[in-house]
Amino acid sequence: MGWRIRVVHETGYQYNAPVHESYNEVRLTPRSDGHQNVIVNRIETVPATRSYRYEDYWGSQVTAFDLHAPHTELLVTGTSVVETGDEVEPVRKATWEDLAGVAVRDRYTEMLEFTEYVSKDPALTEVASDIKRAHEPVDAVHAACRWVHEKMTYQAGTTGVHTSAPEALQAGKGVCQDFVHLSLVLLREMGVPSRYVSGYLLPRKDTGIGETVSGESHAWIEARTGGWWGYDPTNDMPIGRRHVWVAVGRDYNDVSPIKGIYSGGSAEALDVTVDMTRLA
Amino acid sequence: MFDAEGTVRSPYRALHDAIAPTAAADLTVRSEALDRAYLDQGITFSLSGKERPFPLDIVPRVISSTEWNKLQRGIVQRVKALEAFLADVYGDAQIVRDGVLPRRLITSCEHFKRSAHLLNPPNGVRIHVAGIDLVRDAEGTFRVLEDNLRNPSGVSYVMENRRTMARVFPDLFTRQRVRAVGDYSIHLLHALRAAAAPNVADPTVVVLTPGVYNSAYFEHSLLARQMGVELVEGRDLFCRENVVYMRTTEGEQRVDVVYRRIDDDFLDPLQFKPTSVLGVAGIMNAARAGNVVIANAVGNGVGDDKLVYTYVPDMIKYYLDEKPVIPNVSTFRCWLDGERGHVIDQLDELVLKPVEGSGGYGILFGPNASKKELTDARKAIREDPRGWIAQPVVQLSTVPTRVDDRLVPRHVDLRPFAVNDGEDVYVLPGGLTRVALPKGSLVVNSSQGGGSKDTWVLAPNRAPEAERELGQAGLTAAIGPVQAPAAEHCPELTIGQQQQQQQQGRDH
Repeated sequence: MGWRIRVVHETGYQYNAPVHESYNEVRLTPRSDGHQNVIVNRIETVPATRSYRYEDYWGSQVTAFDLHAPHTELLVTGTSVVETGDEVEPVRKATWEDLAGVAVRDRYTEMLEFTEYVSKDPALTEVASDIKRAHEPVDAVHAACRWVHEKMTYQAGTTGVHTSAPEALQAGKGVCQDFVHLSLVLLREMGVPSRYVSGYLLPRKDTGIGETVSGESHAWIEARTGGWWGYDPTNDMPIGRRHVWVAVGRDYNDVSPIKGIYSGGSAEALDVTVDMTRLA
Repeated sequence: MFDAEGTVRSPYRALHDAIAPTAAADLTVRSEALDRAYLDQGITFSLSGKERPFPLDIVPRVISSTEWNKLQRGIVQRVKALEAFLADVYGDAQIVRDGVLPRRLITSCEHFKRSAHLLNPPNGVRIHVAGIDLVRDAEGTFRVLEDNLRNPSGVSYVMENRRTMARVFPDLFTRQRVRAVGDYSIHLLHALRAAAAPNVADPTVVVLTPGVYNSAYFEHSLLARQMGVELVEGRDLFCRENVVYMRTTEGEQRVDVVYRRIDDDFLDPLQFKPTSVLGVAGIMNAARAGNVVIANAVGNGVGDDKLVYTYVPDMIKYYLDEKPVIPNVSTFRCWLDGERGHVIDQLDELVLKPVEGSGGYGILFGPNASKKELTDARKAIREDPRGWIAQPVVQLSTVPTRVDDRLVPRHVDLRPFAVNDGEDVYVLPGGLTRVALPKGSLVVNSSQGGGSKDTWVLAPNRAPEAERELGQAGLTAAIGPVQAPAAEHCPELTIGQQQQQQQQGRDH
């Protein structure tokens, strides 16, 4: 039985001079699927705006809004209540032969290609081929995530939004985004269709009902071995009742929670806070 | 112009009879008048960074009405198939599900814009204007060389060439029944107005230009002037809550249709290049919300990619269940393992083209290439097979062209323009004939030193009233003020006078 979790995600910008025009898109709305059920989602901004929602190419819910009155601060709050599901089981259907077939390679071509962040690296190519040789697809996904987990130390501040997988590997440190990009490089090298999932993680396993904890904006991977299933390389654990997913894509670029352009002075991102409350 | 026996081909007969007795001196005088006309009007384009006039040749290209009917059918068919294709790939992609073409063909195309997914224009039209490049091969068969579905330019030359020719050679037009081209802007305006959301009674159309430094700025201003709509730059427009407004001296004015002549990547800094100052932030979402129509639609490039081009005959079969009226030029696709080997082996006999290229840049003529160029090209193909296609050298047809006071054969192509208003696809009779001026050259692009010719489509000998230009009552009624139907033998007069009046008006 899963949990019912409330997520309050606050983010925004502060400007050193009044901004007269600003256009933004946020991806802060979890979607319902077999693993989770979204009960309510609301996105509010200060200053208040009239927002416009649409579903993007990857199936994520986008909320767009623009501001035209001068303002020096923009605050965006996404509030959701989500029922999460039990631990996700790997799908053991496809063999390496199936994955190498034209049908899979063509259908999931976008989830097999390298991108700016999920970029090729000779060292990683070698690691991937070693893992592939020794395992069946599902075990190879686990092994790849474990390899990343062992190589990398979780440390905020060493990498940025635009750090690519090979750069993160060189640093040896990073955040969930880097763990995921690295895992995706390995999986795509092996020919396993795989994608970036952005969402939230309730940090403590023993969170009691009614308790509010400071959570985090999180990311993990999904691999397709006859069916999609997720795994969390940052914590080396399966996706479970503490994970809430929001958007999927090829890499961070496709799912970035907030992006926008504005005219005027320079902007400073506000601290992101994610409060998570276990309701049931 | 001449057939294999050296006799004049029938469409050219009247023209030949008219020019042949003309004294050489007279031709020279008239030719100089042509050259001056363009310099005086400032109609130039950029060649290797230098502005120069687009050379107009004195001998027109003539197409018989039978030939043209077939071309027109072929172009309409192609535009319809490509419209269906674009609607499909930005929707359910049924053509991919049915296995007609591979998904990676589309997803690997640089011009496949994911932000245009499920963005459905009100009247379903994405290709408001198409330029379909045709060539005539050694057998005399017209073939499609490439499709241009993004911002095909050149139609201003078609109109200006005709206007200039009519002024310098008025006598030719009295003997020939040449179909008019001057009403292009009427058709364009009609199509753009028809594209607006159905609940807009009197849609406001604007032409969005990157600015005066763009090589086609002359064309943008000409079309805006002829349509009687505003010519704007990105900074003249803005979006508020998904509605596009134009800043005017009388305040904000809502805009319903944007005929944009800037590339997708620069159109909306929120969705594409964030550094672009040419575009309008938020216009994509305004279009998605149905409040504005972008013409041509964003993402059309996935339909005119040179690799996708090779699948157009399959699209015609799949969407229309028809056979292509105009065949493609046979093309080898480097991304298919079976065809790549052939290209690499036979590269010295083929023309190698980048799939994303335009303007004739990056093309390699195998027969003229050096050893090093061939080796480099083979390496480039192996590194990026998706990036290249190869075609046999098509011996383009020739038309006599004036070079250094003599008439000599030079190779030509043809770019007809089609305008889709959602109900009919109108094809401007004729199009832009480009001519490669260097001897033996097969590259006709203006950016590679080509010139152009006036292109005459002859009217059928006994053209019924309904088939004549502007004879269609429906069109005239639909748009309101139009010029009186132009006389067939002297088609440019009406437009010419209209422009003169405008120019006078400007001087005052």
